[in-house]
Amino acid sequence: MKLNYKILISLLGLLISSFSLSEELLLKNAKVHTASEKGTLENTDILIRDGIIIRVGKNLLSSRADERDLTGMVISPGFIAPQSQLGIVEIELVPETRDDRSDIYSAGLSIDSAFNPSSTLIPYNLTGGITLSLTTPSSSGLFSGLTSVFSLSGSLEESLILSNIALTANISGGEDSMAAKILLLEDSLNLAAITDFGQSPFITRGEVKNVQSKKNGANYYEIYESSLPEEVSYSARDLMALKRVITKEIPLVIRANRASDILALIDFVKRKNINLIIHGAEEGWRVSKHLAEAEIPVILQPIDNIPNSFNELGSRLDNAALLHKSGVKILIGSHETHNAYLSRQGAGIAVSYGLPWEEALKGVTKNIAEVFNLNKRGSIQPGYIADIVIWNGDPLEVTSFVEEVYLSGKPMPVKNRSMRLKDRYINR
Amino acid sequence: MKKLLMVIFFIGTFSFLPLNSEESKAFESTYQPSESGDIVIEDARILTGTGKEILKGSILISSNKIKAIGKNLPKPIGAKIIDANGKWVTPGIIDIHSHMGVYPAPGLRSSSDGNEATSPVTAHVWAEHSVWTQDPQMPLALKGGITTFHVLPGSANLIGGRGVTLKNIWSRTVQGMKFPGAPYTLKMACGENPKRVYGERSSEPSTRMGNVAGYRKAWIRAQGYRNKLVEYESKSEEAKELEYAPTRDLELETLVGVLDGEILIQNHCYRGEEMAVMLDIAKEFNYKVTTFHHAVEAYKVADILADNGVCAAMWADWWGFKHEAFDMVWENAAIVDQANSGTGCAIIHSDSSVGIQRLNQEAAKAMSAGNRAGFNISPSRAIKWITLNPAKALGIVDKTGSLEAGKMADVVIWDGNPFSVYTKTEKVFVDGVLLYDKDNKSLPKATDFELGIINSQEDRL
Repeated sequence: MKLNYKILISLLGLLISSFSLSEELLLKNAKVHTASEKGTLENTDILIRDGIIIRVGKNLLSSRADERDLTGMVISPGFIAPQSQLGIVEIELVPETRDDRSDIYSAGLSIDSAFNPSSTLIPYNLTGGITLSLTTPSSSGLFSGLTSVFSLSGSLEESLILSNIALTANISGGEDSMAAKILLLEDSLNLAAITDFGQSPFITRGEVKNVQSKKNGANYYEIYESSLPEEVSYSARDLMALKRVITKEIPLVIRANRASDILALIDFVKRKNINLIIHGAEEGWRVSKHLAEAEIPVILQPIDNIPNSFNELGSRLDNAALLHKSGVKILIGSHETHNAYLSRQGAGIAVSYGLPWEEALKGVTKNIAEVFNLNKRGSIQPGYIADIVIWNGDPLEVTSFVEEVYLSGKPMPVKNRSMRLKDRYINR
Repeated sequence: MKKLLMVIFFIGTFSFLPLNSEESKAFESTYQPSESGDIVIEDARILTGTGKEILKGSILISSNKIKAIGKNLPKPIGAKIIDANGKWVTPGIIDIHSHMGVYPAPGLRSSSDGNEATSPVTAHVWAEHSVWTQDPQMPLALKGGITTFHVLPGSANLIGGRGVTLKNIWSRTVQGMKFPGAPYTLKMACGENPKRVYGERSSEPSTRMGNVAGYRKAWIRAQGYRNKLVEYESKSEEAKELEYAPTRDLELETLVGVLDGEILIQNHCYRGEEMAVMLDIAKEFNYKVTTFHHAVEAYKVADILADNGVCAAMWADWWGFKHEAFDMVWENAAIVDQANSGTGCAIIHSDSSVGIQRLNQEAAKAMSAGNRAGFNISPSRAIKWITLNPAKALGIVDKTGSLEAGKMADVVIWDGNPFSVYTKTEKVFVDGVLLYDKDNKSLPKATDFELGIINSQEDRL
């Protein structure tokens, strides 16, 4: 009897889960920007089952789907913020609201535990069309830390999508020579390459020595001490992050703008055989052939054409178009986290300066997913995760608005604190 | 009673004070546009800046001024005809909040001259004395349609100093850029910045109440100085010969200029309650606040601003960089514009060398947000946010800010609807002189800085 009861419960569970497994949504009659080879499809339907896009086509039917007529509406994949501090910064000038920096850790800073799904920036940027953020710490110094991918669902339990997928470094700014930074980059990677931590990442300097000595019979603690400048030291956690770069497990994202700096970096990564993504690349157009040849993608803020420093005197609005023309993969971001969604305005401006529209859309969706290996995301095609935004017009046009957002096929509330403030005051 | 009469007398005759004439001679504008000749822009879709839209309209420019606007205008013999079929035409765009020249690019400490952050009241400094005329940001703004911009000192101080209105032209001297006849302005700042800058040095102000005490103390000193001037002026000629005129005080001269309505207050102020407090200070000392800048919370006090005839200069969507910028709404400009039956004065400003290049797009965002919220704001009205309204708030509306006969021929031809991300300027005229033309590679004229700067054979852009 007891057994039967258990069987009944599990059968019931199966039944419930199979019901929820068969949840279907049919979005009908929209203009669909797929951000795939299919380009833009007019008057098209999308069938979504269990959060996955099943079919994209005309006159799709389903007997059990929840159907939505979207005549006159425009659908795009959810936009992705390629390098933001979404979830780890609330107010820029208030340090106690920031979790994006560390003086203790450098390369090894993983920000997963600090991500706040209830940050006001999350629903705000969701209503701007962003569905995923590649949240990246912004410590000063050579290494800023590790990027993780979060959905903008606001869920306390399920926001983290992928952990520690890229390492960010800075070679501009500060008083030290750019050359010294590239040397330090090299020395740091070299040290990580010869360091073997065995199983435990929590290890003291003395233990490094012991572990290494046992393994190779040499005194590697001395190497550890002597292979870096005196004021530089890394924790085991930092070195492990660097090791993942050497093994090409994760790419290195380096913020650089000057053409000659970009060439120096291309030369560096060729020697070290690591994956590089350049962030900034304001003078990228001057070395676009080299970038294309080395297959190095760039993250741009196409809106910024100001020669802010002597390292970006050549910045210009057609940078994205020129890079694309040379065959460089373009990822488009916004220069500020609070309005990360304004990457779409930057994309639109890039279009007005010659970047093909479909490429600009890929720049805020598909290309980011591809470059950072976000599996089955960033475009609208069968088998892909249904992170979908419904717009009342051209998604790159400043006068368009988000009507609805679906994350993994689930409708999200399109409401934020700013909208509630507006509602309070608009009819005063 | 005698004192009161004296004050009344003084107010009526203040403009004859020697103080004023001395002041007005210093750093005068030497700007003189070259002769534009006759130009007819025809067959354009025109947003006049006065709230009207003319389809297939023409503009006749003659000797640097707009001579006529309308349909089927006569074409003077020899006039340069510009076919603007399919194009849109607007007044030259005006940015009421810029730091071009005082925070130029590249952003180096050596030319970062916008904040005299050494004392909370520095009414004696003038932004124009910091302007680097070869700032490469200026021609970029010109390409964005900016024909006039207002340069302010920064916001570190309670009273930061005088602002200056400039024509967006290439010039070796700042005097050569100064907008002829534009009144001076005075930058004041509420809130976080002054209290942070001085609070960190453990000096006053370190709180918002400290800020307010600081403004009031400054105005009390200004009143005292003005009384001295009045007293001296009221003396007979013989009596004046027996004593010196009060020694000039650069700081208080500027503040007295405000009390006399000759210098316009441009007040950096984010929060609604702070704006209301600033308006009460203005009442206490009997001056007028012309514009609240960065007015992120203007929508909370839109009716109060409209009642007081104060403009709010806003961003379309900036927020979150400071605590006082936390309550941004996309509908801010629209709510200000529509306050008290559409009598509000909304302005979109940039405070940014990036944003200044596309104030049209910023206005587009603010307009469409307002319309989405239920207002019915047309492009012909929203264009005023970046043309007529900033001209009003800078005291130059009789000279520019709209396309009306007699005004300066500050005109932009766009390749489409300016309320779109895809639209760019094609031609920009300042006083009828073509300074940007998409078909002429030598325009806009590169700054000295840009010549051969990344390639000895070329200008930067």
